[in-house]
Amino acid sequence: MSAVLDVLTAVLFVVGALLAVVASVGLHRLDDTRSRMHAATKPGTLGVLCCAIGAALQVGSTSLVTKLLVAAALQLVTAPVGAHMLSRALTRRDEQRPPATP
Amino acid sequence: MTFSSQVALGLLIAATVLTVVRAVRPSSSIGDRAVAFDMMTAVIQCGLFVGAVVIGDGILIDVALVLGLLGFLTSVTVARFLERTNP
Repeated sequence: MSAVLDVLTAVLFVVGALLAVVASVGLHRLDDTRSRMHAATKPGTLGVLCCAIGAALQVGSTSLVTKLLVAAALQLVTAPVGAHMLSRALTRRDEQRPPATP
Repeated sequence: MTFSSQVALGLLIAATVLTVVRAVRPSSSIGDRAVAFDMMTAVIQCGLFVGAVVIGDGILIDVALVLGLLGFLTSVTVARFLERTNP
């Protein structure tokens, strides 16, 4: 049983870390702010969720598992809200900018 | 288990460094910086979760909880600032 949990935790940790690496490479390779935002969302939700579940399988106490799940749920709720506000602000900023004169 | 945790920590450190480079690069706009810092807090949160298992201390989970709230606050503040200032 413990070995199964260990393997599951190892897989979840490595998957979360790989998501973070891929997204950070995407921040450099993609060429638009919205595209970079699309890359940055993956570790913000799925990466944190993977690492939190992986850690929750290993820590032994109920209070720590509760804290981990609260942190993951909070991140799941707040990450889309923050990204939405940021992209809305950027879009309004682009709309307010006067068009370039030819 | 220990080996995979160390691999994950190394990958997360590399991701954090790449994200910080994206944020402080002179050619990036303020939106890029905000996105990069938002992602950096998420990656550090992942690292704190992995680190809590590696060193076996639950205090890092509290740190990650507060860091998540601070990251959300940061992106909301930057978004409101961007919305109020003229380009």
